[in-house]
Amino acid sequence: MVTDNKKSGRRSGKARGRLLPLVFIGPHLILFSVFVLFPILYGLVISFTKWDLIGTPEWVGLANYKEILFNMESTYHKDFVAGLKNTVMFVALNVPVSILVPLGFALLLHIKAKGSKVFQSVYYLPTLFSISAVGIMWMQMLNKRFGLVSIFGIKKALTITNPWMWIMLIIMSVWWTMGTNMVIYQAALGGVSKDLYESAALDGASGFQKIRYIALPSIRFQLLYTLVITVAGSFNVYGQPLMLTQQGTGGAPKITVLIMTITNLAFGSGQSIAGMASAMAVILGVFILVVSLIQFRLTTKED
Amino acid sequence: MRRRERVMKAMVSLWTGIVAIIWIVPVVWAFFTSFKTETEIKTKGFGFLPKEWTFENYINILGNTDNAPIIRWFGNSMVISVTVTVLAVILVSLTAYGYSRLDFKYRDTLFYMLMGISLFPNIINIIPLYQMMTWLKWVNTNMAMIVPGLGAVTNIFLVRQFSLSIPREFDEAAKIDGAGEFAVFFRIILPMLKPVLTVVALFSFTGSWNDFLWPTIVFNDVEKMPLTAGLKLLNGAYGGFQLGPILAAACIAIFPTFVLYLFAQKYFLQSMSLSSGIKG
Repeated sequence: MVTDNKKSGRRSGKARGRLLPLVFIGPHLILFSVFVLFPILYGLVISFTKWDLIGTPEWVGLANYKEILFNMESTYHKDFVAGLKNTVMFVALNVPVSILVPLGFALLLHIKAKGSKVFQSVYYLPTLFSISAVGIMWMQMLNKRFGLVSIFGIKKALTITNPWMWIMLIIMSVWWTMGTNMVIYQAALGGVSKDLYESAALDGASGFQKIRYIALPSIRFQLLYTLVITVAGSFNVYGQPLMLTQQGTGGAPKITVLIMTITNLAFGSGQSIAGMASAMAVILGVFILVVSLIQFRLTTKED
Repeated sequence: MRRRERVMKAMVSLWTGIVAIIWIVPVVWAFFTSFKTETEIKTKGFGFLPKEWTFENYINILGNTDNAPIIRWFGNSMVISVTVTVLAVILVSLTAYGYSRLDFKYRDTLFYMLMGISLFPNIINIIPLYQMMTWLKWVNTNMAMIVPGLGAVTNIFLVRQFSLSIPREFDEAAKIDGAGEFAVFFRIILPMLKPVLTVVALFSFTGSWNDFLWPTIVFNDVEKMPLTAGLKLLNGAYGGFQLGPILAAACIAIFPTFVLYLFAQKYFLQSMSLSSGIKG
């Protein structure tokens, strides 16, 4: 009798134990399946259809992909290439600056000179603002008639003329996003053992040698991690050119990137071409994923 | 040697200080200019302090309840961001506890699968998500801003890492004393997760407050949209010719996160070490 009780007690405990994890992870698992997993799969399916967001999607196989990638006459192909060009340009310009500038700041702040705490707070501040607010500030500040540039006698519309619009776009982007990478590097540098620096100093190492041979190798992992994240983030660029390079009141932005092409096709004025837009999104998405995976692969190989 | 070091530190101080001053110019300029009269902005050239302080830009923009109801936008954003923050903290702590302190079959495999799937870039999800919003009748509602983001995995990863660094002895001791799983969760682990959950809360709030792409897609009703989407409209409507009001609007938009930063700076700047479980 006694043993029986014990047994059944243990058994019901086990059953409860099996269900218990579901109480903790279940709600998120449902949200994840519905709002992350399902849309990815659904997006893949849509990319093989002709669809206007309203009617029933019509299966067209690989037609969208063929049109975007290989039909040189198609406006979709032209829009895609134009958007891709600007997106790639942004990645190429933005990534090196978005790694080197915060790294420089982190190294300087690591010296812990007077005021470094306050300056650090200032450098980080812009990351807390929305791109719409940041874009407004920069666009007005760069106004040729009464903005900052007017005191230098620059009479050009800096946000819509080449090459200035690109330079300004990158400066604003770095200003806005740099803080995140900076605190990652700072945390990593803070974790480097002081003994390493001290023994290097005893050996007569210069400041640059300490950076080159101690600091940078010690934060190698963080450098590679931020590289992957920054590359992926830069391919997703959208808000900065949209807000900064607007032409006139309510006009289209001068620099169109791929995400704009995609959202315009799917949600712009006129008939929605959601199937085609989805195919573009999948191409971009897969491309970002592959680039990230290659970078991850290279980083893990090194270890 | 010591003198050289002192000189170098002073130079670093000077240099980083100058850069910091340059760094903050856009914000300071926007703030001061939002208190200038439109004539002063347009005729007096570039400058910082207003010659004549005026609230007319704020009165102008806050009084617009028609094509740019900024007070409504602000309210919408506040409701959305606060709700997201509360729900995210509850959900993330529960889920991270499950993936770090409970033992069940395929626990880690399942978690890595979630991580892997969420590596897919967001842009693939946007069009289908919009379609789902129309099915659910969530277009132009706060639900569209609140619910889908709760499926994200990044914050769970952070809290899970932190939780894994807490020794198992804590749970075991409590369980020997007869505490159930929920008691362990609420009384033992949750208090220890406080720093990393604070980071999650702050980033949930600012992330939601500043979200841009999704709200510009899922809202077209001017009355219902959050502030970021509203500012985009405003820039299109006023941007070319009326500077004062639009800069005032930008200042209003950055105010909440700025205040949050003043009080919780430490958590933002040390988020990396706090969330990796390295104390100090």
